[in-house]
Amino acid sequence: MTRVRLPFLVFVALVLHLSLFLAVRVGDAHPRVLLLMAVGAGFLAGAERGAVIGFGLGVLADLFVQTPFGLSALTYALVAFAVGGFQSGIIRAAWWIPAVTAMVASFAGVLGYALFGSLIGQPYAISVHLVAVAAGVGLMNAVLAPLVVPAMSWALPSGADRAFAR
Amino acid sequence: MAVYRRTSRPRFTLLLLVLTAITLLTLDERSNGLGVIDTARDGARDLFAPVKDAADAVFSPVTDFFQGAVHYGDVEEENARLRAQLAEREALALRAADAEREREALLDLAALDFVGDIPTVAARVVRSPASGFDLTIELDRGREAGVAKGMPVVGSGGLVGRVVDVSRRTSIVQLVTDSSSSVGVRLAASGDVGVAVGRGSGSTLRMDLVDPATKVEKGEAVVTSGLQNSVFPPGIPVGRVVAATTASGALQQDVTVAPAADLRRLVFVKVLQWAPIR
Repeated sequence: MTRVRLPFLVFVALVLHLSLFLAVRVGDAHPRVLLLMAVGAGFLAGAERGAVIGFGLGVLADLFVQTPFGLSALTYALVAFAVGGFQSGIIRAAWWIPAVTAMVASFAGVLGYALFGSLIGQPYAISVHLVAVAAGVGLMNAVLAPLVVPAMSWALPSGADRAFAR
Repeated sequence: MAVYRRTSRPRFTLLLLVLTAITLLTLDERSNGLGVIDTARDGARDLFAPVKDAADAVFSPVTDFFQGAVHYGDVEEENARLRAQLAEREALALRAADAEREREALLDLAALDFVGDIPTVAARVVRSPASGFDLTIELDRGREAGVAKGMPVVGSGGLVGRVVDVSRRTSIVQLVTDSSSSVGVRLAASGDVGVAVGRGSGSTLRMDLVDPATKVEKGEAVVTSGLQNSVFPPGIPVGRVVAATTASGALQQDVTVAPAADLRRLVFVKVLQWAPIR
């Protein structure tokens, strides 16, 4: 039963992403729920498993955009790995930590995506506009984090959510 | 030794993932729209299309409410603008018959080929740009409806973009504002040709190659040039000039063009079944 939870959650998240969250946008910023799930995976499952799950989520995201295939996978894996490394240093998990982590990691994820894209020749410029978009994505993902992180905790096999369980 | 394993394994896994991602990026770059990755993307979109349609219907009240709430000011402004336009159009309608006669005379004179003669496929926009990095939209018509890669796409105001990927039931359109988009254009008044290059989301187009000596008026219409090998037919409105400056000693003017079509609120578009004449 637990093995189907994560694919089920990813499917639901993908439907919500494509049908709901893409339309819920302020300017060019909208919630990036798959990136948020990668953050949640790093937070709950640690750096290594988080990076693997983040990579898978990134590949899925790459299927539905026209940007270079693998760019989201690379970014999400690195973000999840960094979050996993960060959470291992947390002694006591306060309620606000997942939201703040989601905000900072999502912000960094959007900027990282642009940076990697520009490194492989895409015309993405690190601009004030991009920083504003990244900040918007960070705030929106922070709002969603109290829903998505517990959902990831439910979906991931037991023992993976050491940091979130209190 | 145990400590070494515990600390190095996650990094080794990450290294493998990074290398896999780089491999995927390379495969995508080398496949040039024909490889297994594009097949996977097309398949995923086709597979997901029915689920997405159903979900769109379920969530449309929520998304409509949000759009209304966020863009309330815009809606009010647009309402006022549309009322003004309506009054203007009513006045224009009285002059339409005369204008039509003049238009036909001009057509005969210049032997121009207009978009009206090109067969079209009407399509609904089912996905707006996924991010500021990917200024593409998805349409609910694909190969089955006669859409093919490279076809121009127009909206109510003018040129929207070009089809860059087609699956059986959907297609992807690169907007003219995408930073990798370039359109051969002509200034309506002077007839000078140039290239309108996208600048990214929420922004205008930059028209390159305009001679510094050319007089460019603010509000001047910009249309597709349709020169030989152009990927767009001639005469499609692209936008209007919002600014034109020439830096001292520059070899070209810095012309800024606002897109004619409202690319942020596309609902229905038409795909022109047109291929460039080689």
